[in-house]
Amino acid sequence: MEIFSALSFVLTSPMLIVAILLAAVVGMIVGAIPGLTAAAAIAMLLPITYYMDPLFALAFLYVIGKSGRYGGSIAAILFNTPGTAASAATQLDGYPLAQQGKAGKAMKVATISSVIGDFMGDILLIVGVGAIASVALRLGPPETFAIYFTAFIVIGSVIGKSIAKGLISALLGGLIAMIGLDPISGEERFTFGVFDLTNGIGLVPLMIGVFVLGEVFDQMEKRNKRMAALNTKAYDKNNDGLTWEEYKPCLPHAIRGGFIGSCIGILPGLGSAIAAFVSYGEGKRRAKKPEQWGKGALEGIAAPESANNAVSGPSMAPLMTLGIPGSTIGAILLGVFLIHGIQVGPTLFLTSKELIYQLFACGLIGIAAYGLIGYFGASQVAKLIVRIPQNVLYPMIFLTSFIASYSARGSMFDVLVMICAGVVGWFMRKYEFNTAAFIISFVLAKGTEESLRQSLLMSDGGLMVFIERPIALIFILLGISVMLLRIRSIRRERNQAENKELNNA
Amino acid sequence: MRKLIEGMVISLIGLSAVWGAYQIPAAQEGETWAGLVPMIVAVCLSLGGAIIVIGGFTESTITKSNVSFRPSTTIIEVSGLAVLAFSYHYAISAFGYLLPTALVAPIALYTFGVRSPIGLAVSIVLCPLVFHTIFFELLGVFPPYGTVFDPLDLIRS
Repeated sequence: MEIFSALSFVLTSPMLIVAILLAAVVGMIVGAIPGLTAAAAIAMLLPITYYMDPLFALAFLYVIGKSGRYGGSIAAILFNTPGTAASAATQLDGYPLAQQGKAGKAMKVATISSVIGDFMGDILLIVGVGAIASVALRLGPPETFAIYFTAFIVIGSVIGKSIAKGLISALLGGLIAMIGLDPISGEERFTFGVFDLTNGIGLVPLMIGVFVLGEVFDQMEKRNKRMAALNTKAYDKNNDGLTWEEYKPCLPHAIRGGFIGSCIGILPGLGSAIAAFVSYGEGKRRAKKPEQWGKGALEGIAAPESANNAVSGPSMAPLMTLGIPGSTIGAILLGVFLIHGIQVGPTLFLTSKELIYQLFACGLIGIAAYGLIGYFGASQVAKLIVRIPQNVLYPMIFLTSFIASYSARGSMFDVLVMICAGVVGWFMRKYEFNTAAFIISFVLAKGTEESLRQSLLMSDGGLMVFIERPIALIFILLGISVMLLRIRSIRRERNQAENKELNNA
Repeated sequence: MRKLIEGMVISLIGLSAVWGAYQIPAAQEGETWAGLVPMIVAVCLSLGGAIIVIGGFTESTITKSNVSFRPSTTIIEVSGLAVLAFSYHYAISAFGYLLPTALVAPIALYTFGVRSPIGLAVSIVLCPLVFHTIFFELLGVFPPYGTVFDPLDLIRS
């Protein structure tokens, strides 16, 4: 019932509505620009929100994240360049449709499906999050450590192509988080006598460095590759509209995609791209005419787009109930919570229940906002993106990253951290390490350490406490099983690829 | 070869972290050691690096990497931007925000391929003005103070 009072509060707050609308447009544009992700935009805007009301700040960034996920489909359909990793699945059928002059139809299917998926995910979050939080409140340090451990393993091993590199990225994030004073004993760790390091490494400059400056370095290399021009034949006025008869076969795919995305979204680290491709594969398997998929099937857009956006809501569940960010956007939003002095975790629903439901309400209104703007104005957004000169955009982002990282704490040391993180982030991308796992692990590390040390104190230094307590054991086994399954699937893929090569030879 | 270098770099970071964790003083009676988790992470990192090194040795077939890495062009271009970033940081510490931004804005634009003299000239004035107004005037962030010379002192006096 809290959600209805929250909805009425948000709907009667004109400034909040304006912020949501603005966030919907900003997210759509950012998501549609290839290379620039919603996470980067949110990281850059994060310090500004320090000066805003917490709800205003959270709603603004949360809706940018939602709209950004949808925005990726615009570039995928119109420019044959996915704006986000998840929209690569949309590109498979989206671009062929644009080539047939059906870009308008494809965009409308993408919009409706994104809205369906996002609403499904958010409703699941609203209904289930309270229950998860009440269970989370009863967990002790060993169970909490086991959940953190599982999150580490899942994040490290599932995202990316290499398990070793994923886990190393997660370990590097954990190691960086250890810099500074020990929260329990106050001992200095990895400070090497540098006074500025005693406060530890700030989340905001680290994120801006990895996601924003790292991306600027990346774009520096790619600057000679011009973005594909908007195909003028993509829009045929006779093929622009979408009828119910055309969308009707897409509806089951959108609903199924919504369920797939919601389930994948709850698991930390899996993300939109996996959800989109799983939904696309499942949709194709169940399609009446699978041979048309990949050649311009509207259903081929509905399935991945719905799953892609359905991830958004449930990925907030581990963050809000356990303090475990399920995605990079979740990690950044955690930064916003911390900036405003809001403790994220099971107690969040006791201390800030009203705020959380108001944020959910903003999310629902944000979905409707980007749905309406996208349905009627996606082509205008595409035209705007073509006009944005990339060689001006990235230098401006370069300058903004400095002032944004400084603004968080008014510290020039943070700027230095941001530059170093930018260089590290660029190297990580270059050598296929996982920046998302790096940042999420940085956030998780302190909680993991705290719960491990509390557990060890409880058990007089023994490790049996993790085996004797069934919930802790289940989570530890779950983490190990996920890693083993992932190793198996990678080996199978490698063997198939080698067999294919041998057959071709 | 690439795997070997990657693995060795990771192992080196891990071993340095092991040494760093070893420097953390021992725990008092009834407490857990502050270096416990850093040591576990550092050891795992060293092992992870070692696994990549072994993978590099045992890889029987040379697989094509998806990454195109051309040190001659890539490193120079990105290094140039990184040098600009570090110089910009140093300049802000020494001369405050306005002057370094006025200098760095056209250089960054030029680096990304903007060649219009008017555009570059406009950026000298517009970038510091816009950023200063938004962050230091509207949002009320306290501007970084230039230790050597800060034009903001002149403007405000």
